[in-house]
Amino acid sequence: MPAIVQVQDLRKRYGEIEAVRGITFSVERGEVFGMLGPNGAGKTTTVEILEGLRRADGGSATVAGIDVFRDPSGVKRRIGVQLQASAFPEHLTAKETVEFFAACYDLTVDAMALLRSVELEERAGQLQEKLSGGQRQRLSIATALVNTPEVLFLDEPTTGLDPQARRNLWDLIQAIRDRGTTVFLTTHYLDEAEVLCDRVAIMDEGRIVALDPPQKLIGDLLSRGFSKPTVQQQASLEDVFLDLTGHELRDA
Amino acid sequence: MRQTYRLTSMLLRAYVRDRIALFFSLIVPLMLMVIFGYLNLGDFGRVSIAVDDQAKNAASQQLTGVLRGIGTLQVAELSTDEALGKLRRTELDMLVVIPGDFTIAPARPGQAVPQLIVYGDDARPQQVAVGRSIITAVIDRLSFAVTQTAPVVGVKDESVQGVRLRYVDFLVPGILGVNIMQLAVFSVAFALVADKQRGVLRRIMATPVRITNLLTAHVLTRLVIATGQVAVLLLVALLLFNVTIVGGLVPLVAVALLGTILFLTIGFALAGWAQTENQVPAIAQLITLPQFFFSGVFFSKNAAPEAIRPITNLLPLTFLNDALREISVQGATLWDVRTQILGLVVWIVLGFLLAVRLFRFERF
Repeated sequence: MPAIVQVQDLRKRYGEIEAVRGITFSVERGEVFGMLGPNGAGKTTTVEILEGLRRADGGSATVAGIDVFRDPSGVKRRIGVQLQASAFPEHLTAKETVEFFAACYDLTVDAMALLRSVELEERAGQLQEKLSGGQRQRLSIATALVNTPEVLFLDEPTTGLDPQARRNLWDLIQAIRDRGTTVFLTTHYLDEAEVLCDRVAIMDEGRIVALDPPQKLIGDLLSRGFSKPTVQQQASLEDVFLDLTGHELRDA
Repeated sequence: MRQTYRLTSMLLRAYVRDRIALFFSLIVPLMLMVIFGYLNLGDFGRVSIAVDDQAKNAASQQLTGVLRGIGTLQVAELSTDEALGKLRRTELDMLVVIPGDFTIAPARPGQAVPQLIVYGDDARPQQVAVGRSIITAVIDRLSFAVTQTAPVVGVKDESVQGVRLRYVDFLVPGILGVNIMQLAVFSVAFALVADKQRGVLRRIMATPVRITNLLTAHVLTRLVIATGQVAVLLLVALLLFNVTIVGGLVPLVAVALLGTILFLTIGFALAGWAQTENQVPAIAQLITLPQFFFSGVFFSKNAAPEAIRPITNLLPLTFLNDALREISVQGATLWDVRTQILGLVVWIVLGFLLAVRLFRFERF
């Protein structure tokens, strides 16, 4: 089976800045693929090109077997997206927001079932702007699932969430993967990539500098003789925080 | 079709939940109409006149009685001191003091005739002038009666308008026009620029939605709101001010919707151009404010200085107001206002071209 996302020598520049400098990679069907990198590495540009939102300057890309450059709207029909720094139309309830996006795809959906799948059933009648950050991210994923996409693109899905909401979202992403949807996410949280991703590509200054399963990347580093200056503790401060405050969502 | 319908119903639902948008599209126009309707700005109004009758005889009572019978005058009996106070506070237009020696009798040679003293409010010279001439005329008539001479020339008054035109009758079509302009320009520009800035349009553009359907839904939403607005304003005008609408409601609403489309194209052009919400009010005011004053909303468009009238006569709102007013006040048909309709259509084409040029969804 061919890879669900195939990228060949993709390039994009904004004036003087070369945001993406000829990257090549592919995403396998059914995996959670992570794109890591510091801010400004070119992650969002890459993702937005694959989503059909931005034109590339060179190279080629196919998503779900469709050429992104030739048929961006065909790609949009087959993928689900959650964008960074985006918002929903105001004055609509959570349920209506899902229905609004279903209308954008010209599909009829069971909005309540979708909300249930992201644990927002009880918030169905609430105005979306009144939802908490974590709830809105989950609503955002529900809207990205209206067309039962083949690939779900998540751009920094947990940025700005508290640890409980973050863990909850991880569970949700894993559940979506378990249902057979390919997930392509960007993040700058390394622990998130380590927990969620089957493979990660690390981007820096518009190039992919590494691409492998997280454990292999760590193994390779260690085999090159790397050792941390301090002894690895068995628990982190986040573990302490979650032990004290619990795993339950605070805003659900 | 189905997509457009679904998107329209969603946008409408969101619109009516938006208290601020609703406030500006319904409450503000109602306030404008009620305030200006009661102010009766364009109306000459009545001349309020105080009479200080110091003679208190048959002749002075006859004069006061005649004055009271004149519809244009609003007569009150006050002492001079009281009336002068009111005059200074501009609560009164004029004061007539009838002297103690007042009589209506043929003057004998050498005898001084009684002098009426008239005070006027300098701030309302027109009213004072009318009041003075009425009083002079009344005195003349009374004198003629006493001296047994008849007037040499008689004057018969005829009204030009078949139906007596009141200021509110003139005002209501203007209010309709200006509100159509405000609703279309502001609601589209604010909503879309906010959506652009907050990333709502980006999110929608990540779906395969047909842009024409989305834009049509935005236009239809405003047309529905505009129709509702026109209906409410007309209803209030009819119930509260008993406004006379001579022409048909169908041509009135048709012209109103044409005007809505025109100003929507301007709203879309503005939304395409503006990058932040802060830019919207500035440019929107720049576009709407001159039309607010020069397109015949609250007073005749001919109140504009003659030098700029060739321009003000071509403003979009002038065409809209003229058409609405001719239908409403003179009972014109759509064919009668074809010149104005042509003007509106030309503006729609210009606005549409501008909007297409400035509004690029791909850029979001």
